[in-house]
Amino acid sequence: MPERDDYLERYMSVKSIVREALPFELVCTIGGVFAGIILVRMVDMIETIPGLLVLVPAILGMRGNISCTLGSRLGSAIHLGLVSRIERNPELINNVAGSLTLSLIMSVVLGILAHLFTVALGMESVGVVVLVSIAVFAGVSSGLILAVIAVVITIGAFRHGIDPDNVTTPALGTLGDVITMLMVFCAAEAVIWIWHITP
Amino acid sequence: MAYYTVTGIVKRGTPVLLVAAIISTTAGQLLHAGQDLLLTFPVLLILIPPLIKVGGDTGSILGARLSSALHLGLVEPVGGVVVRNNILACLVIGCISCVVLSVAVWAAAILLGIDVVYGLLLKITLIAGCIEMVVVFAATVGIAFVSHKHGLDPDDVVIPLITSIGDIVGIVAVFVAAWVVG
Repeated sequence: MPERDDYLERYMSVKSIVREALPFELVCTIGGVFAGIILVRMVDMIETIPGLLVLVPAILGMRGNISCTLGSRLGSAIHLGLVSRIERNPELINNVAGSLTLSLIMSVVLGILAHLFTVALGMESVGVVVLVSIAVFAGVSSGLILAVIAVVITIGAFRHGIDPDNVTTPALGTLGDVITMLMVFCAAEAVIWIWHITP
Repeated sequence: MAYYTVTGIVKRGTPVLLVAAIISTTAGQLLHAGQDLLLTFPVLLILIPPLIKVGGDTGSILGARLSSALHLGLVEPVGGVVVRNNILACLVIGCISCVVLSVAVWAAAILLGIDVVYGLLLKITLIAGCIEMVVVFAATVGIAFVSHKHGLDPDDVVIPLITSIGDIVGIVAVFVAAWVVG
């Protein structure tokens, strides 16, 4: 089977894997640098809110996991012909609502986990209420923004004859960290303002 | 009845996310423990999110490709050419990304008015990147083969676990690299 051998040769060649995956990886990396720039602007807040730094990788990770699975489910749904219009569509609403519910539950869990873990290790924590507030605000608001982006990209790509599976998840992966970090920043600002936290 | 339901999505998502949450809070504790170092050298704060992303992404690419290869029955023994070439390709992607990353972080630091020597930053990025990739790739190959052997779909298991493990390894790797470089 010469065709199969050809395909396998390409499938296994280092060169073709690098050529296909590298450009996207570089775009993602630059996206990550923007997230890093927002994090470094938060140096003062990190000192003011002990425990904030514990939350950062956890919220970023949760956000990535939830919105990428949403993107890939939406891709499957649109391929199955379940999503053809935006308004009054139960499949679409359930997918977004399911993701947001998961974000809410996991944000509360993350806030509590971060507090308990920090205290258990004998380090200072700002308190469970503040950490849960930051996690919920950042987790749910970034989840909402990314859900809207996921829906728009998925439907837009499909209408233009592009496979959403190839576009939605990479786009969410790149935008996700920046938007989530921005929301953590806003949440920390809000919390400092509401509870008048001073270092 | 809708194909996708809110309860279905929540039920299927929660277990994996809980495991990922515990692993990534551990990563957060490591960051917290190294807070003094990070506040003294803020450039490390710019470096960490993209670096753990490179590790997680290259690990995910490797994991997804190995999963497909396992599904297709293309993987002979662990030392076979498919596994070897996939690992090599992901290493090349990771190393190029690390070099580009060091330049981007350097540019960002200059824009923000943070003092940093480029040579030092390149060394830290490369050392941390290599430590991260070696550990993450080993874990990826292990998890892919073990989950496949036990009849679990590697697609469901490998990526969430690898991105979370990548967080921990990446943060430790940055601290190690910063310590090695001085």
